[in-house]
Amino acid sequence: MSGTISIARADHETTISIKGRFNFEMHSQFRAAYQEETMDKSRSRRFVIDLTGTEYIDSSALGMLLLLREEAGTNEADIEIANARPEIRKILETANFQRLFKIT
Amino acid sequence: MKILIVDDDRINSTILNRLLSREGHQVLSAEDGQAGVELFANERPELVLMDIRMPRMNGYEAAREIKRISSDRFVPVIFLTAVTDEEGLVQCIESGGDDFLTKPFNRTLLQAKIEAMERIRRLHTELHAQKEQLEQHQERVQQELDISQHLFANIVRAGNLLDAPCLRHMSAPMSQFNGDLLVASYNPAGGLHVMLGDFTGHGLSAAVGAMPLSEIFYGMTAQGYSIGDLAEEMNAKLLAVMPTRMFCAACLLEVDFRQQSLTVWNGGLPDLLLVDGQGQLQQRIASNHLPLGIRAFTPDDRKVSIFELRKETRVFLYSDGLTEATRDDEEMFGSERLERHFDGAIPPDKLFDTILATLEHFRGDAQQTDDISVLEINCARAGEPVSDQLSHARKKVPPTNWSLSFFFGPQLLQTVDPLPAIVNSVMNLQAPTGHRERIYTTLAELFSNALDHGLLGLDTGTKRTPEGFLRYYSQREERLAALDHGFIRLDLTHIPQFDEKQNRIGGEMHIRVEDGGPGFDHRRVHSSLEGNTGHGGRGIALVRSLCTKLAYNEAGNCADVVYRWTI
Repeated sequence: MSGTISIARADHETTISIKGRFNFEMHSQFRAAYQEETMDKSRSRRFVIDLTGTEYIDSSALGMLLLLREEAGTNEADIEIANARPEIRKILETANFQRLFKIT
Repeated sequence: MKILIVDDDRINSTILNRLLSREGHQVLSAEDGQAGVELFANERPELVLMDIRMPRMNGYEAAREIKRISSDRFVPVIFLTAVTDEEGLVQCIESGGDDFLTKPFNRTLLQAKIEAMERIRRLHTELHAQKEQLEQHQERVQQELDISQHLFANIVRAGNLLDAPCLRHMSAPMSQFNGDLLVASYNPAGGLHVMLGDFTGHGLSAAVGAMPLSEIFYGMTAQGYSIGDLAEEMNAKLLAVMPTRMFCAACLLEVDFRQQSLTVWNGGLPDLLLVDGQGQLQQRIASNHLPLGIRAFTPDDRKVSIFELRKETRVFLYSDGLTEATRDDEEMFGSERLERHFDGAIPPDKLFDTILATLEHFRGDAQQTDDISVLEINCARAGEPVSDQLSHARKKVPPTNWSLSFFFGPQLLQTVDPLPAIVNSVMNLQAPTGHRERIYTTLAELFSNALDHGLLGLDTGTKRTPEGFLRYYSQREERLAALDHGFIRLDLTHIPQFDEKQNRIGGEMHIRVEDGGPGFDHRRVHSSLEGNTGHGGRGIALVRSLCTKLAYNEAGNCADVVYRWTI
């Protein structure tokens, strides 16, 4: 009972949208969604994680976001977490992820 | 292949025997069911051809018996039958037959059937071997898990003071290993350190991370380090050992019952809840740090928050497994449902049990999906003694002459708390049993007087109101950061004491703490302190009660103390 992922690629921006439950079962799907882009170190890329349709997020999902951040270059990574509903926003803020990601 | 023919018709049996022998099979024959079963038991053939109507025991019975005694392996039984009626064939299958062959025999069909059975038999043997391998593997894994769990429990539990009278806790792992770490221990000054950690995920991988953290927790707490120091050390450890996608949301607390203060470092755990004497929510303390194990600490990451505690205060700490507990219709327990308990309708001493009861009732039979931990600190019971802390056997040095001298400049005072190092040096040289806490407290009070009042010029009077209490600590932080001159010097001389027969009966520690500040009016400090029952600052009075002598010089920047102990 996990969620689904869809990807939209524009010139310099990749949007990963997650519907349903964002949990440990999404690990390989989520990683596959960004890995192609993060492999190419010569180009800088922006990632938008769109949580519009996300109903639930667990700590493994936070771990996946950290992994994306690392593979996208840690402090140089340009990652935005967008449209989280209030409960999920609260979880992100409890973990103080606003210090690592742009949360909009 | 070893094949058994059970048939009372000699001609039939002989034809079959010859046919199969020519194919290279080893053939055995029995002339009735009973003899067939006996031969089967002795020779363990791999395939059986069975007639139906025979004296003594018929084919159905013999097939059943053969299947019964060979239940650990697959032995195909092919019935040889003249009947072609459905009733008879059904009976063949029901008695355990795997196939049947109608008389008279067609040689090609017989060969084909034997081959087919042989294929099934081989598959069966392979499957059986794999199953056995899997079972052995599973058993080995389970054994290893049991051993690991035992080790894990002992490492985490060693020295854990969760059974202290002022604490109540519930920890429900969802699997054999708990990904929530809940530990408590007293520091040398008598303050209580508590930590709740919640690792990403659950089970074994989460529990493995808990082991180094619990070791750091106990080790550094016993040495007198602050929770900021603990958090920094734990963070560094986790960064070194854990993969990126794992981290540990943690809350560390220091409860100082003497100063009535609560120091909090919260990185990623739900709000800490402070409840007053009416059972009402008085304050929530939100996470203001990243969880442990994500990135290296900056000075800001060490920052702790200090709050005032009253005797009637209760502190509630929990992992998100509680609020995210889900019942069958997917509704979550939620923080609202939790906080409804703190509306003043439930007597404070019933809160903990009521919360657990609500959770149990809410969850019903739904499966647990995360580790759940809940802890309550009841400040009113803080003073009650705990069962003996683990005492480490140390080599006893007879009381003897020695001395130590320390000198600390501003830069060192800004970056580390030298007190644990001082106390450890003293205790490693001469460790009078049962005196560690007293010596620690004496040194801590003298040292903090020298620093707070001598060098930083803080006024204890500020601490008398709740607002002042907080202002005191923020002023302290600012002034310490700006400190650019001055020093603290500590000299400690130990002199053995003898009885009239020249036996060593104990010792005296002559302690001098001097600071490079302008001095302070110690008379005012202790006159205000000795009658003081307000917020903190009973320091000097306390030192007086522990030591045989306490004297300040005229300027107020040098204190002399004598601490006496006997064997």
